Amino acid sequence: MGIPTLGAAGDNVVRYAVGYNFQYTNGMPIRYIGIPFPVAGQPREVLHSYVFDRNDTLSGKPMMKAVVDALTAPPTPEEKISGQPPEAKAEPRFLAPDTADNLQQLFKDKDWTDYNPIILPTEEKVKEMLKGTSQPPDKVVKVISWPGGNRSLTVEKVAVCAVMAGAKPKQFPLILAVAMSVPFGNSTSSMANMILVNGPIRNELEMNYRLNVMGPHNEVNSVVGRCYTLMSKTAGNLHSGKTTFSGLGSNIQYNNLCIAENEEALPAGWEPTHVLKGFKATESVVAVGTGWSYISSVGEVQLKYPVQNLIRDYMRSLTGMGATVIVTPETAGLLRDAQGFKTKRDLSAWLANNVEKTIGSYWGNGVISTMNTSMALQGMEPLASQLKADPETMMKPFQAGQVNIVVAGQGQTTWFVTDFGVGRGTRVDNWR
Amino acid sequence: MKRKHLIISLLLLVAAAAAYTGLSPDQTQLQAADQPKITVMNPAVTSKMADREPLGPRLDNLEGKTIYMVDISWGGPDAARVVFEEMTAWFAQNIPTVKTVIKRKAGMYSQDDPPLWKEIAANGDAAIIGVSG
Repeated sequence: MGIPTLGAAGDNVVRYAVGYNFQYTNGMPIRYIGIPFPVAGQPREVLHSYVFDRNDTLSGKPMMKAVVDALTAPPTPEEKISGQPPEAKAEPRFLAPDTADNLQQLFKDKDWTDYNPIILPTEEKVKEMLKGTSQPPDKVVKVISWPGGNRSLTVEKVAVCAVMAGAKPKQFPLILAVAMSVPFGNSTSSMANMILVNGPIRNELEMNYRLNVMGPHNEVNSVVGRCYTLMSKTAGNLHSGKTTFSGLGSNIQYNNLCIAENEEALPAGWEPTHVLKGFKATESVVAVGTGWSYISSVGEVQLKYPVQNLIRDYMRSLTGMGATVIVTPETAGLLRDAQGFKTKRDLSAWLANNVEKTIGSYWGNGVISTMNTSMALQGMEPLASQLKADPETMMKPFQAGQVNIVVAGQGQTTWFVTDFGVGRGTRVDNWR
Repeated sequence: MKRKHLIISLLLLVAAAAAYTGLSPDQTQLQAADQPKITVMNPAVTSKMADREPLGPRLDNLEGKTIYMVDISWGGPDAARVVFEEMTAWFAQNIPTVKTVIKRKAGMYSQDDPPLWKEIAANGDAAIIGVSG
């Protein structure tokens, strides 16, 4: 804008904002003040005290003196520096030689792992992994632009992570397809991801989509999910306290809900998820979606309370930004044969039309409020009307297109309700 | 007699434990030092960063200046806005010649808003943007 500008951030994130990653992202240092946290949800008298009585949490000065100084104090010598920041220094292709034990420790010290032992990525092992694809090692799979700088995730770097995770070359095309969605969710909330695999690749790699599909009982489900974490932390440059700042974090980020759909057990008329997204049934597709949480049905379906009603009840606790309901084939069969949902879309539409929550509950969620307030105040419907309405008014938080149904597992009439979306999907064959 | 048996048993137990490890502490340290060095590939990716630009000049003082306060709507409609209203009240009491203009940025917090930046550049002397958290 060409005028002195000051960023104001809560104390929970302001030190990340002034960290090196953010300082140089836009080419110019940014001055910040740190406001005591929390801000949202506080009554006016507390926010009044923040401004009049409290100190800037960065400089320690009285808040408004810090504001005045930030807009008037001349640039410091450090703020006058120009050119490339030291963090732009090229990463060497190889690390300095060391013993295996020391290298295992180095990878932990660098926060490049999930703190479980890794397979050390020797050149030989990486070369072997690269045999799993015809793609050149220097091909860029994705450019990751946040936080700080642009980082080109190449086929070779993905292979390094695949070796670290314990993958085999035949699994590499799937991992490359997953790499297009790196890094995982990074937010002060507990954002996470779900990796969903459809098509022939499930059987080709012997992924688990039956018993214990969401548990630690299959090498491919485990390794591919783990590799997504390792790629996120290395290429994504995600380090707790420096570039990630989730209040609670998420245990889901150890494996990222890496599952496959039990397409073979779909009831008649229920199509695989990737087909509903526009792919052919014969195509192998991986979709990475974003969400936060999942809730188990705990028990099996009961005759006295139709299963869709219980799913509806559970979905009332979701934010309303998206949902994926994961049901066993047996649950799907009951939904189709006993409850009349001839297709997944029928069920999605019914849930979108029957899940209700109060407007107060919907807007009471900070993520909804942060994302939608500006649009509501600018008149976008139905958000604008919702913001003005009685908080006890009921509303429907979902549209049918936001509610995905996935069939997985086997052997019990159980299910999960999740707030994960299903990503657009990537063809695995593109990465062979 | 029983005590003697107990002592012998304990000694045997210690000896068995030592035999199980197979190595004395000195030998273990030696083995670690003898580990061959290997070379592995670096998983970290080079960050391509924009050239750093020096910070622009600051104002001499705020007397008579117009300060835009841009609400990015983080945390809903009543978070940053109230903070900026309180800052406005502080200026009214302490530097009354300052004019403040509170604006809400279009779109979500991370979306660009060029018309607003243009307005601020044309009419403002300084800006405060926030409050994230």
